[in-house]
Amino acid sequence: MTLQQLIFLGLAAVIVLAALFVVSTRNLFRAALMLVVSFFGIAGLYVLLDAGFFAVAQVLVYIGAISILIIFGVMLTRGMQGMEPRNTQAVGGAVVAAIIFGVLVLLLGPFHVTINNREFGNIAWNFAKDATGNAPAVADTYIASLGVALVDVNQFALPFELASVMILLVMIGAIWVARERKVAEVQADRRDILAEEREEEASIEAAKAGASSTGVPAVPAAPGLPETAIAHGAGGHGEH
Amino acid sequence: MNFLTDLLSLIGDFISNIIHSIFSFSPSIADAIVMGLAAIILCTFAALSFMALTYAERKIVARIQDRVGPNQAGPLGLLQPLADGIKMFTKEDTTPAAADRWVYNLAPLIIAVFALTTYAVLPFAPNVVGTNLNVGVFYVIAIGSGSIIAILMAGWGSNNKYALLGAFRTVSQLVGYEVPMLLNVLPIIMISGSLSLIDIINRQTLANGNAGLPNLLYFPLSAVVFLISGIAETARSPFDLLEAESEIVAGFHVEYSGMKFALFFLGEYVNALAVAFMFCVLFLGGYAGPILPPYIWLLLKAAVVFTIFMWLRGTLPRIRVDQMHDMNWKFFVPVSIIHLLISMVLLKVFTDTPSQLEATGGILVSSGTRMLILFVASALTLLVALGIAARRARMNRLAEEEVLAKRRMENMAAAGA
Repeated sequence: MTLQQLIFLGLAAVIVLAALFVVSTRNLFRAALMLVVSFFGIAGLYVLLDAGFFAVAQVLVYIGAISILIIFGVMLTRGMQGMEPRNTQAVGGAVVAAIIFGVLVLLLGPFHVTINNREFGNIAWNFAKDATGNAPAVADTYIASLGVALVDVNQFALPFELASVMILLVMIGAIWVARERKVAEVQADRRDILAEEREEEASIEAAKAGASSTGVPAVPAAPGLPETAIAHGAGGHGEH
Repeated sequence: MNFLTDLLSLIGDFISNIIHSIFSFSPSIADAIVMGLAAIILCTFAALSFMALTYAERKIVARIQDRVGPNQAGPLGLLQPLADGIKMFTKEDTTPAAADRWVYNLAPLIIAVFALTTYAVLPFAPNVVGTNLNVGVFYVIAIGSGSIIAILMAGWGSNNKYALLGAFRTVSQLVGYEVPMLLNVLPIIMISGSLSLIDIINRQTLANGNAGLPNLLYFPLSAVVFLISGIAETARSPFDLLEAESEIVAGFHVEYSGMKFALFFLGEYVNALAVAFMFCVLFLGGYAGPILPPYIWLLLKAAVVFTIFMWLRGTLPRIRVDQMHDMNWKFFVPVSIIHLLISMVLLKVFTDTPSQLEATGGILVSSGTRMLILFVASALTLLVALGIAARRARMNRLAEEEVLAKRRMENMAAAGA
């Protein structure tokens, strides 16, 4: 067992265990942090594959930007601390994950699969080996060739430009979503959201009441709640 | 003189040979031990310089403020860092009651570790570097962004609303100022043709027919904006509103005391020194210099840059959070992008190597002329941008004063009538 294999096993263990923790824990913040650990493990895998640039890009993009966004989203979710995640999709999720795992193993593993007289399987190994049957070495100038490939019109210039257009769209969308709104607009939004929630609660109560007894009408939510919330919201918005 | 120049390499070879002879049965274990020893030496260097820097900072800031600074602990107060260390060790190690213990305790550790990891790619002499990554600059910036997670951990793990708010604001500042930092490192990368720190330094020395001019003379705007972004990245004064007592009661590290707070403190100073080293490597030529050994040159340059940091701390008032974001997104980023476009065009048009002329065409000038052209373009951009910003600030101030004067007239009229 060479040192490289040992390191790979260690990294793979870290990644898989962290990912398992992410999907099975109740504490959302810790799940986000273990996702960060998983990303670090993947960066380590890139280093093992002699692709230092991608390892650093992984750290910069996934851990330095995406993870921060995820953590912000987790922290700003209302009622996060007392939340009990009701996961009604656990079984379905496990089945889908198993199917995807099976498909990946068939395609990337050393199996030959023939479906309808077409050959599948062994993809990764076929791509990786060259004429003499050895994996090609990573050139030292792979960063340079990556850069050239991104702007070469015969290679990947079009997806590159399209990606920049997409980023522009996303920025415009973010500016629109985060625009400054007048107080009346904010109040109207809040009223709509609270009305929706009241309807939801009323329908849940109706379903429970309908299931448990026959003709007892549902009790709507306390009418005093929306006004106080809006007053508090307006006051809070006013005092900045 | 050669002995002094290669002193670090000779010591390194000596120790490496000893360990290889001890572990002659397995060279890989010997290699691993040598690398571990190098890492320990780097971390010790960072920690010792942290001690010296706290002392120097307090003395220099005190002199700027017309007082003496620490002079009680030992002669000239030289044992003050030791006294600080003893104080940190003996303070009570509190943990908030409902805090998430793992998250709360790991946050300072992660910040300190990330701050120290930056030193792995710094070249102290031509052959003395932790590891000569061919993505060195990129690595430093990625590590800087990795420590942001630890700040969020600190803010969340404290189970304190104000710590959380402070963590949000700190993260918004740090993430915001990464953008001008990256945009201003790009011209340096373009002119050096490589992300490796040693290649960047070599381009600023007289090796391989290079001109030997520091990158500061090529891109002064980049140097200025990188310096200011670096100060903001490490949340030093004047950007330290996130840990100021009167603003948010020490921000995200309000619930930490004792050794954990010492680790935050160490992380801040080690980060600031790393930014100073990066500025020296990128813009001042790193370890290049005529007579003295290279590591002495690097330490001298870093000391000068850090003195500039301390000078700014002692002189400028604290900047407000909206002013800081204003300055970043409305001034630094547009100016950096425009400067990047201008220097891209000028770098391609004016070359100083005939091989590049054949390959891509352009105008052949001497190295000195090229530097002069880029310097003039960069300095012009900086002055024009500062002029526009000054005029905009003056317009805003005049508008504000007009509004205030009108309100005063109305009040007087209402009081009189």
